[in-house]
Amino acid sequence: MKHFTKLAVAAVVAAITASASLAQELYTPNLAYRTGPFAATGIPLMNGQADYLNMLNARDGGIGGVPVNAEECETGYSTEKGVECYEKTKGTAIVTQPWSTGITLQVLPKTNVDEIPLLAPGYGFSPMMDGKTFQWAYNAPAGYWDAADMIIQYLESQGDLKGKKIVHLHLDHPFGKEPLPVLEALAEEKGFELVPIPVGLKEMQNQSAQWLQIRRERPDYVIMWGWGAMNAGAITEAVKTKFPMENFVGVWWSGHDADLAIAGQDAKGYKSISWSFPNADAPVMAAIKEHVVDKGNSKSNEEEMSGVFYGRGIIISAILAEGITAAQKHFETAEITAPQLRWGLENIDMSEARIKELGLEGMVPPFKTTCANHTGNSGGWMLEWDGEKFVKASELLTANTEGYASIVAEKAQEYADANQPWAVNGDCSE
Amino acid sequence: MLYRTAGQFKTSYEADQALFPVRQDAVLLWVILGFAWVVFPMVATEFAFQTLLIPVLIYSLAALGLNILTGYAGQLSLGTAAFMGVGAYACYKLITLMPWMNPIIAILLSGVFSAGVGVAFGIPSLRIKGFYLAIATLAAQFFLVWLFEKWAWLYNYNASGAIQVPNMEMFGVYIAGPQASSIVQYYVVLFIVCLLTMVCINLTRGTLGRTWKATRDMDIAAELIGINLMRSKLTAFAISSYIVGVAGALFVFMWRGAAEPNLFDIPLSFRILFIAIIGGLGSIMGNYLGAILIVGLPVVLNLLPNALGIPIDSAMVEHLNIMIVGSLIVFFLIVEPHGLAQLWRLIREKMILWPFPH
Repeated sequence: MKHFTKLAVAAVVAAITASASLAQELYTPNLAYRTGPFAATGIPLMNGQADYLNMLNARDGGIGGVPVNAEECETGYSTEKGVECYEKTKGTAIVTQPWSTGITLQVLPKTNVDEIPLLAPGYGFSPMMDGKTFQWAYNAPAGYWDAADMIIQYLESQGDLKGKKIVHLHLDHPFGKEPLPVLEALAEEKGFELVPIPVGLKEMQNQSAQWLQIRRERPDYVIMWGWGAMNAGAITEAVKTKFPMENFVGVWWSGHDADLAIAGQDAKGYKSISWSFPNADAPVMAAIKEHVVDKGNSKSNEEEMSGVFYGRGIIISAILAEGITAAQKHFETAEITAPQLRWGLENIDMSEARIKELGLEGMVPPFKTTCANHTGNSGGWMLEWDGEKFVKASELLTANTEGYASIVAEKAQEYADANQPWAVNGDCSE
Repeated sequence: MLYRTAGQFKTSYEADQALFPVRQDAVLLWVILGFAWVVFPMVATEFAFQTLLIPVLIYSLAALGLNILTGYAGQLSLGTAAFMGVGAYACYKLITLMPWMNPIIAILLSGVFSAGVGVAFGIPSLRIKGFYLAIATLAAQFFLVWLFEKWAWLYNYNASGAIQVPNMEMFGVYIAGPQASSIVQYYVVLFIVCLLTMVCINLTRGTLGRTWKATRDMDIAAELIGINLMRSKLTAFAISSYIVGVAGALFVFMWRGAAEPNLFDIPLSFRILFIAIIGGLGSIMGNYLGAILIVGLPVVLNLLPNALGIPIDSAMVEHLNIMIVGSLIVFFLIVEPHGLAQLWRLIREKMILWPFPH
């Protein structure tokens, strides 16, 4: 036992000195999951993230002249490993990207004490929008409550929702329950009936019971908050029970090309709201091809690179890079620290012009973060599966954030109260 | 040589019945305790506390609880994680309903709730044995996790369905929640683990332990010599679930900081069962050895490539890790099916005879 622990201590010391000796870089670790039950969705996202930053390193020598070290720490989507990775990387990291809702919930209170920005684009805890309370947490460009609002808006544009019945098919997990407060409020306002149907983690692959219930309920629409194996399970089950696909809408994590490719033409008409879109003609794709893929430094492949999730990975890295650039400009130093990056992330201005300058045309809607709003509420497009790939099925939808501003404030306050003492951003005057 | 017991005379009954009658054992124990109480806290980093020291202790305690039931009383259980969950949720309710309560008292009290639930699910053991009992405890596992999901009162109607540990103070120091420092949490865990281990060593040596062992080895024979099987089995369930419940409360309050119901699902039960089996059933020390192998080793293996400067993907490290730990488990089980504790016992016997084995 003694030998073992000595070895352990020696290894820890060595690891810390090793990472401390590497100066002159921006350390932005990513708590990746290329293994485990969710690897199929994790790999394209991680490849997109890595390829974009590798491209910046190869083309521009990093950001502001300092190379980015986007080391991955493998979690396998397990909360336990996620916390291990967080502890391992937090020493020199300027940001943490927790990836799973479970890890986010665990790490969120810690980042407020350790003062490290937490970047959770499009996932995590929706009240993180309140930047005054959650000064270290960011879920730009859009949160789950935006998604719920936009989906309902889209469905409303197809016809009045009064008296209609909408099923909310969700993973029985914090992630799946997240949109419920907003959906309930909207149901009351618009006069439709909301039927939440949970899918247990053990039932993800076999949802026959849930779809039997859906058949019995005869809903007008089904909204899905699914992840991992649940998406493919739901889509195959919907095809089997002949549910009209055009009335089936998923959140952005339920829009993975590979899940739909299984059903192919049968899934035609399935929709997914998304704040990212894969644009093969965007200049950034050419740059990635030239600087990363052609040099053999990418783990991706042609098919994956044309998918929604790879494109989303690029956008996530681009948001991080924008935060870093903003901080570098403001503080006039290339090697920024974690608190400086915090300022940068709350002053991102992804304007139409800036998106063009970055070569991301058509891949992300414009958005802007402030110290009071950490989400940015970019809005999104309704994507539709045409049998082979996702295409845009709507103009840019924007969430009506005022509709649930009071819920954000209330939940954020609740969180802060439950975690007293909780440091809030008193300098923010907006 | 090192372990020579010649010349250690016992002159009183007290000395003969000491916890560690061999002097070298006692010295070794003091050295280990010295490391645990003084040396590790001085040298350990935040990372070592959070990923090695605290989890190894908590998992050891959970395995110890299971070992009382499975290793000593011979009742196979697959519901350990669910009983941990009962402890964790009970502690959460105690803390939120009575915020003035001392956190350590709350943690120790929460075990009482899981003991009650444990006894309830232990009642079938009076009629059924072996694999059939394992199935009955499996029912507890599924039922309780389902209950954690559905009974919103348990998580205070939180929208996300998860429980979050609030900041808790004791004598002006934060001991749980995000504000608490790792070293304080480590000492709280260490204190409780040491306390319960002491209790368990004594329990298993005493009347209760002997009744458990008799029940395990042959229940009919035990009944014939006048052991009340019902009492023996139900006390085993109660004490085992108490310890497992305390481990569950520590697991969430002193380490994880937040928990969702599926955390207490069957993989955690299996993990603890593996620790107990690989460490050695019917042994106290085995739980610690097992936890070091199953919980600590993967963390160290993950660090090695980086420490040695080998450039290797973190996903690849994870794959290698699973392969290495898996083959080590197979290796140890082939070399010593009775677990690491037995391995140590053999080494110790050899050392006592060395250098003149007969």
